[in-house]
Amino acid sequence: MRIPIRMIGLATTFFWIFLIAFAVTAVYSLKDVQFDFGEPQTGTTADNRLFFSMPISIFNRGFYDIGYFNVTSQIMREDGAIVASGTTFVPVIRKGEEITTTHMVTVSIGDLLQSNQNFLFNNTELRICESVGMKVAEMIPVQASTNFSVPWGAPLYGFALGAPEYSTYNATHLRVVVPVSFENHSFFDLAGTIQLRMLDSISAFVGYGQTPVEARQSSSFNGHVEFYVEPSELTRSGSFEVSFLSPIFNYGPWVIPYG
Amino acid sequence: MVNTNTGFKKNLRGIAFRALKAAIKGILFYIIYFVLSQLLAPVSTLVPGLQQMIETFFIVYIVLMIVGDLTSGTIYQHFFNAAKALFVIGYMLFSLGGGVFGTSFENVSLMVDLRMFLVIAVLLSLLGLAKTVLQAINYMSEKAEITPI
Repeated sequence: MRIPIRMIGLATTFFWIFLIAFAVTAVYSLKDVQFDFGEPQTGTTADNRLFFSMPISIFNRGFYDIGYFNVTSQIMREDGAIVASGTTFVPVIRKGEEITTTHMVTVSIGDLLQSNQNFLFNNTELRICESVGMKVAEMIPVQASTNFSVPWGAPLYGFALGAPEYSTYNATHLRVVVPVSFENHSFFDLAGTIQLRMLDSISAFVGYGQTPVEARQSSSFNGHVEFYVEPSELTRSGSFEVSFLSPIFNYGPWVIPYG
Repeated sequence: MVNTNTGFKKNLRGIAFRALKAAIKGILFYIIYFVLSQLLAPVSTLVPGLQQMIETFFIVYIVLMIVGDLTSGTIYQHFFNAAKALFVIGYMLFSLGGGVFGTSFENVSLMVDLRMFLVIAVLLSLLGLAKTVLQAINYMSEKAEITPI
């Protein structure tokens, strides 16, 4: 019985040494893995979605390969609803290998604004949840995650219609001029069209006008919409149905009362 | 009288040998601990309590090992060896929290899944425990064989 016991002892010792050496070197080699997260960039894609991209460079100087390297970003509203998410996945990073990849998240601004008009008119915050995961030595899963908030600048911040100004155009029509103003606090330039439908006190159609809009980021827009109405159709009060159309997003109609 | 002296000398030599063996093993394990703590020093700064955890483990393990070696040749050796194997299993399960180890610093939370490592380590410890039980059985059977009727 002594020989089997000795064999079990030898095997156990061998496996213990192997396991401890593997665990220690795996943890130790993590120290030699270099991650470089580049400067994040924003822009618009060909299908007019906004993108956030970040170059990631990984230099594996450790003793083992790294498997299942993934970076996941989730952009969430303040109430926790996910607005957009993106994942970048690298199956294997061999030891001594350097890999550069780009992590990208695209957001449909139209969907975002349609889901919550707060993003259109008020500066608020977006919560971003970032997580980086990998399998050290293709065996030990490691994950690091963090949450932070980024400010969201409203593209139509402080949107307001001034009081309509009426002037005689001809014998049958009046010219209506409605001042329009807002500030573009967003990180993208805004170019599009504002459309106004004038409704009377019983919500019957009175007139329609539109004006092109161009507002660079962090700038204000002051313009007006001009259209023509029949005086008999005018009432002292009513409402405007406002729509905003642009290649990046369309929004509306929303109703602003007048009078 | 001569026989008593020879027996006493033999016993003394046996005790000295066991003590020397235990001391050498203790020193060897201390060296392993020292090297490990040096290697894990960069990680220890990130994981609070890791150094303390490893230290406690090595202290208890070395004490059980030395006591086990000092009592070698008796049934107590097997008790201490079994205690050592059970301690390794219990301490690993307790300190690694079921295998998923998480910590956070500043705004970053880190999660390491050591379940695979834990399963292998527990299986090896169980193998060690089985070896100890076999040794105890062997010891008892050998003792029974040499008992004069």
